[in-house]
Amino acid sequence: MRTNQADRSGEQPPDDRRYAVKAEDLELTYADGTEAVSGVSMAVPEGEFFGFLGPNGAGKTTTIKVLATLLNPTAGTVHVNGFDVEADQQAIRESIGYMAQETSVITEMTARENLRFACDAYGVPRGDRSDRIEELLDLVDLADVAGKRAEGFSGGMKKRLDAAMALVHRPPLVFLDEPTTGLDPKARNRLWDYFEEINDRGTTIFLTTQYLEEADHLCDRLSVILDGEIVAEGAPETLKREVGGEILDVELDDGSDARVRAAEIVREDGIFDDDPTVDVTDDGITVTSRESRTRGPDLLVALRDAGITVTGFNVRSPTLDDVFLAITGEHLDDENPAASDADAVESAAGSTTAPDGGDR
Amino acid sequence: MSTETAPDREISRTSNSFPRDVWTNFMRWNINAIRNPFVVVSSLLQPIIFLVLFTQVFGNIAGGALQTGVSYESYLLPAIAVQISLVVASSSGIGLVDDIESGVFQKTLVTPMNRAAVFLGKTLSELIRIVVQVVIILGLGVVLGANVATGIPGALAIVGIAVLFSLWFLAFSNTVALITRDQESTIIAANMLQLPLLFVSSAFLPVSSMPPWIQTVATYNPITYGVDAARAIMLDADVMEVLDVTAFGGIWNTLVPSLAVLIVLDVILGAVAVYMINRASSASVQ
Repeated sequence: MRTNQADRSGEQPPDDRRYAVKAEDLELTYADGTEAVSGVSMAVPEGEFFGFLGPNGAGKTTTIKVLATLLNPTAGTVHVNGFDVEADQQAIRESIGYMAQETSVITEMTARENLRFACDAYGVPRGDRSDRIEELLDLVDLADVAGKRAEGFSGGMKKRLDAAMALVHRPPLVFLDEPTTGLDPKARNRLWDYFEEINDRGTTIFLTTQYLEEADHLCDRLSVILDGEIVAEGAPETLKREVGGEILDVELDDGSDARVRAAEIVREDGIFDDDPTVDVTDDGITVTSRESRTRGPDLLVALRDAGITVTGFNVRSPTLDDVFLAITGEHLDDENPAASDADAVESAAGSTTAPDGGDR
Repeated sequence: MSTETAPDREISRTSNSFPRDVWTNFMRWNINAIRNPFVVVSSLLQPIIFLVLFTQVFGNIAGGALQTGVSYESYLLPAIAVQISLVVASSSGIGLVDDIESGVFQKTLVTPMNRAAVFLGKTLSELIRIVVQVVIILGLGVVLGANVATGIPGALAIVGIAVLFSLWFLAFSNTVALITRDQESTIIAANMLQLPLLFVSSAFLPVSSMPPWIQTVATYNPITYGVDAARAIMLDADVMEVLDVTAFGGIWNTLVPSLAVLIVLDVILGAVAVYMINRASSASVQ
């Protein structure tokens, strides 16, 4: 299902706003013939918190590598901060921050030395360096261990240091490639706060993630990529409203007979005009309809009239997982995060999107 | 809507320059070396063990195969200087593979730093290590009884030859690193070659005292030319046996052909390494 056409007109910024990222028909095919990205178009206005969503192997990392000048596109026009990714690589490198999927810090150096190296590498003016380093150490909560070598850091600390290294030059645009994969919830929340803070300060953020909760929490707008193509685009709320309607959970007391009867009432009484989806669950029924909120009370009355006891009632918004289910017919979120991490390792090893040095 | 062809905004340009980028990377690898004392010490220890053991164990026997009036300490010391070159140069590729595996290599590629400066800085740091370690070993050799016939200028020249000699192996080590992209393979490839190549060269004994097949191998072994050049300066004599050059007179009969061989080798392997490095850091899809 393509929802981007509908969304674009309403959500595209007025023409005087500038784009941090603008890609038209971006394609990337590896030398072995693997078509990692096939015709992706996107426009990310400055200041936006943009999410790029998709399952493993969908083409997220390859796309981000093109935007960060690590890979030249096979076809298409791509501008980052207004510069062409093939003709103006140097200008792009000066104006972006990039946090790769794999944490990379120089383990022999202390946290402060790593940041100093990043300042040197990005040519931060000498007079600004010390202040900026201390500010970033504070921001990512590493001031206490600033003089300790990174080799002793936990995964979360390294991630935070890595993120700080991508920001020493205050780039107007930052690419974050699955920045929280493998982190515990506490460390993840801390990074989220941090990303929101720099976004509040005006930094455009381009985030890839396979965690729907993360995209939902952070992003102003997102694109969903599947098999190298964008299949949906819009604000999380818009996507959820469009695809799933709202979900009405009704808890019933009277056993399975009552649940089946309740489902029949929903289907046959015409309470909801839009042909809702009804599921019989373990303790009641679930109705998915755009009219869940407005017609819910009518359903309760109808159930009472039919002599069915209602013990619980709740209208909730669909999650992004409901969106994903509607678009792709499968869940993106794996129920077991450990298993999905194992898949990630496997698919990284088997796929051509090698995450290391510039070979892919 | 068509995309803008001219950039529509100002970005803050970096204050980077080529020398600064070289310096940044030079210092990064110096810190790396200092923080890994085990690596530095062991790369110095192996040649020291060779120097002490060989002079003690073979000193008396080997002396018979040498020209009269030359101590085995003086004969061996230039070879040990070359050995240091080999050991340090072989670690260059290991550092690169380390960077690729840890993602720091890619991180560097996204920065505005000049790529040539990145590698130049790293290489300079390795060359400094060679200089420091060769100076240490020369001092130790003199303490053990070796004599640099050409004095302090000669000792400096030996340091220079150790650096010139290291370049081809440094390039080789980086090339292997980029082909295998694997730390263990790089270590094995570098170490596997080092010792056998040292033995089938003029490093430890005069080539003329060895079987004909070794003499043939030694003629095509780059180590022979590094050792001969350093030894000619050490002993102030024409010591080359694998090539019979008489056109230049004195130690130049050894130095000119040796240095020529080393320079050609450096240029060829250097070019291969530069090609490989460019390929690895380019954005062209592979």
